[in-house]
This record gives sequence, C-alpha cells and structure tokens, in this order.
Amino acid sequence: MTSRITGAQPGARAIEIRDLHKYFGDNEVLKGIDFHVDQGQVVCVIGPSGSGKSTLLRCVNRLEEPTSGTILVEGVNVIDPEVDLDEIRSRIGMVFQSFNLFPHLTVMRNLTIAQNRVLRRGKDEAVEIARRNLEKVGLAGKEDAYPAHLSGGQQQRVAIARALSMDPDMMLFDEPTSSLDPELVGDVLEVMRDLATDGMTMMVVTHEMRFARDVGDKVVFMDGGVIVEEGAPLDVLRNPQHERTKAFLSKVL
Amino acid sequence: MRRTTRHKVNLGVLYTVLLAVVLLLVLLADWAAVQENFFDPEIAKSLWPEIITVGAKNTILYTLVAFFGGLALAVVLALMRLSPIAPYRWLATAYIEFFRGLPALLVIIASGFAIPIAFGWRPPGGIVGAGLAALIVVASAYIAETLRAGIQAVPKGQTEAARSLGMSGPRTTIFIVLPQALRIVIPPLTNEFVLLIKDTSLLAIIGVAVGERELTTLARDELSLNSNSTPLIAAAVMYLVITLPLTQLVAALERKQQRAR
Repeated sequence: MTSRITGAQPGARAIEIRDLHKYFGDNEVLKGIDFHVDQGQVVCVIGPSGSGKSTLLRCVNRLEEPTSGTILVEGVNVIDPEVDLDEIRSRIGMVFQSFNLFPHLTVMRNLTIAQNRVLRRGKDEAVEIARRNLEKVGLAGKEDAYPAHLSGGQQQRVAIARALSMDPDMMLFDEPTSSLDPELVGDVLEVMRDLATDGMTMMVVTHEMRFARDVGDKVVFMDGGVIVEEGAPLDVLRNPQHERTKAFLSKVL
Repeated sequence: MRRTTRHKVNLGVLYTVLLAVVLLLVLLADWAAVQENFFDPEIAKSLWPEIITVGAKNTILYTLVAFFGGLALAVVLALMRLSPIAPYRWLATAYIEFFRGLPALLVIIASGFAIPIAFGWRPPGGIVGAGLAALIVVASAYIAETLRAGIQAVPKGQTEAARSLGMSGPRTTIFIVLPQALRIVIPPLTNEFVLLIKDTSLLAIIGVAVGERELTTLARDELSLNSNSTPLIAAAVMYLVITLPLTQLVAALERKQQRAR
C-alpha cells in the first residue's frame, strides 16, 4: 500500500498524543494520555469497558472532541481549528464495532462513494480499486449485494474494504469483532492479520487477547481514563506489572 | 363457563347487536327519497366526463403540486430545525408551530384574499396559485416534522462513518442521511399525501374558474345547479377511488418495513 503522504518513513510517528484530557460533562474519561503509534506499527489497546479506550481512539480523527491536549497525525495537530479535518480523516481508515455500512447503497457503492466525492476519483478507477479491496477481504462477487443481505462478519470485512479503498495511511479499529457471532470473528481477524503483514499502521481497540499477542507490536492497557501499563505484548499479557492489569487479565484470559 | 365458550357468546352478542342496528336503519330509511336526492342516475350521467377530465384531474394535479412543493420546502425546514445555528432553529420552529396551529382553510383564505388586498401582491397563477401556495405552506409544516423525525431516526454511526471517510457535513447529509431518512418516512409521507388530496377540497372556498375546479368545487356547483345531492355522492366515490389504493399502499409499505427490521 503506497502512502499518499510523501516522506512518511517507517519508524516515524504516525499518531502522537500528548497530555490528552476529555470530559463528558463533569465526567473526566481521559485523564492525561500520552500515547503514540509508529509508522507500520500495530498497537492494541485493551482494558475494561468504560476505561476510555474507545474514546481515545475516536479522538484521533476527532469523532470525539478532545477537551485539551495535542494529537498529531503524521505531524499535523488535528485539534488545530485551521486544519482541514476532512482531508486528514480521508487518510485515516476507521472500522466501527457496529460496521456502519450505508444500508441504502450496494457494497460497490459503499466502497466507491467516498472515492468519488472526497478523492475525486473517476468511476472506473474507483470501481477498480474497490474490486481489488473486496478481493483482499475475500468478498469478490458481492459487489451488487446490499449490506442487509450479508452476515455480520461479511459486513465488517466490507467495512474494512471501504476504509482501504481510500488508500489510508493508517487504520483505526474500534472493537471490530465485539458485535460478531463467535464463529464469524476468525474471518475478520484474518483480514486484519493480513493487513498487519502488509505493513499497515494500525491502532486496534480490542478484547481479542490472542490477536493482541500474535499481531500486536505493542499492547496498551487502559483503566479509569489512564494508561496503566504498556509494552511488548508478551510482557504485558504474560507478565503484567500492575495489580489492575493482573486483575483484568485474570478475568479475560 | 370455559373461557373460550364465554368468548364465543360475547362475540355472538356483538354481531347480533350490529345486525339489529343495520336492519333498523334499513327499515327506517325513506329509500325513495334517498334515491331521488342522492342517486339520481340522470344527474350522475350529466356529470360525465367533467368529473374526471376536470374534477379528478385538478384534484390530483393540485395534490401533486402541493405535496412536492411542500416536500421541497420541508427539507429546508427540517434541516433548519436540526441546524446547530440557533436562529435557524427558532425560525423553523416558529414557522412549523404557526402553520400547524392554523386551520388550512384560514391560510387559504388569507392567501387568496387577505394578502392581495393588504399588499397589492398577487401570487402567480391567479386565485388557484394563491390557494396552492397556501396548501404548500401548510403541508410543508407537517412534512417538515415528519422528515425531522426521519433524519433523527438515522443512526449516528452513519454520519460518523461518512465523516470518517472524509465526507463533508453537507455531503454526508445529501448522500447518506437524507436518502435513508426519506426511506424511513415513506409511510407517514404517503399518509400526508392522502390528507392533502382531501385538503384540496378546501380550495372550493376561494372560487375558481370553471376549468380549474377540483372535485369538491365541481360537486358543489352541480349541487346548486340541480338542487340535488347526487354530485356529492359522485365526488365522494371519486375521492375513494383515488385514496383507497393509496391507503392500501401505505399499509403494504408499513408491513414491508416491519419485515425489513
């Protein structure tokens, strides 16, 4: 996958977050987060529900408005009001827990509409790219289907293909397998694994500990709006240093 | 008594009462007078073909104009109603509450007579144009509220998905939210359409040229001409011919939507 940003070097910071605070009303859900994802890295964020991990992820493309702090995406501060947010978002693929495919459009149109309207790609080029990505997620031949006629696992793979069709520099995954039946989780994880192998920069909020262990370059454990512990997956998952991490892992492993 | 037996007895009583009431009405009615006043075949024949070529045609034409004019205006109103900019919200809310709170008849009279007198301004299309403008204004207030509900029923994740792909706010509204919102409100919109068909009869109040008469105006003219109510019955039949298939369509659409969920 070629980056649309010139000069994006492997190892450079793809996402860098400094002292991020986020309040919902009086409730502080992010209490000063420092976090980064390097180019080509796969970072998995784990933690109990309500720990703020999804909020952190959603702040990266400002689906959630941070209260204070700095969020640099490829060096550009997304909180700067002068910044072209739509342009930045078009370079960050996002995959949601609830898929969020456009139900009134065919699979093909789901994959081409933003290519046409945002990237101004011609019809033939957009269709070509869409077909390539559908093939990549193992759903060639589903071009004319509507999302309602697909299984949850297929819908999520279409959602991944939709994000990939924008040729993003990085991908955000917000609990991508949490609303899937257990037997459908594998196909989606397989696609994500392939992406990681291709060198895609990924930030993944997940409950799939095996995926975090096998695919992640780094695991970040969050609880109560702070990062409690982070490090290499095997270190964090096998040999956690903090009580809260131990307590959480003993429940989910 | 067992519950099923009691149920059957209750139903039996209800049917008997219904039958008795219908029989009583049939026996009491003066059928000769009824036929003479409401079902005069000669008069019914004299209505032909104007009741179709003028009355039904204009009723349908006026409904279509009022509905699609109202729908276009309603899209703007609904979006204003949901705008983050407060004055837009206030304006739309004031408009909607004002015109939903007034009888359509008053708005038609105002548009047809009061405004031309007060401002010396005549709407294009003469008196019919004025009446249709009033119908559009009133219909848009109702349709706007229906649309607003439809827009709010589109899951927030749809907007988030579109925005995360880099689509701008307006593009997201036009290509993602509105098409889904319209689909959701098709049954209540069809209902709105049926109500409008009948509201076109209110245009009878402002008096229009012979060729511009819709069903009710035509029937009222014929009624005074013949001193006989047969034209009213004929108009009623025409309304039902137009509305019944539509209400059946609404029911079918609602069933289809239930299944899709």
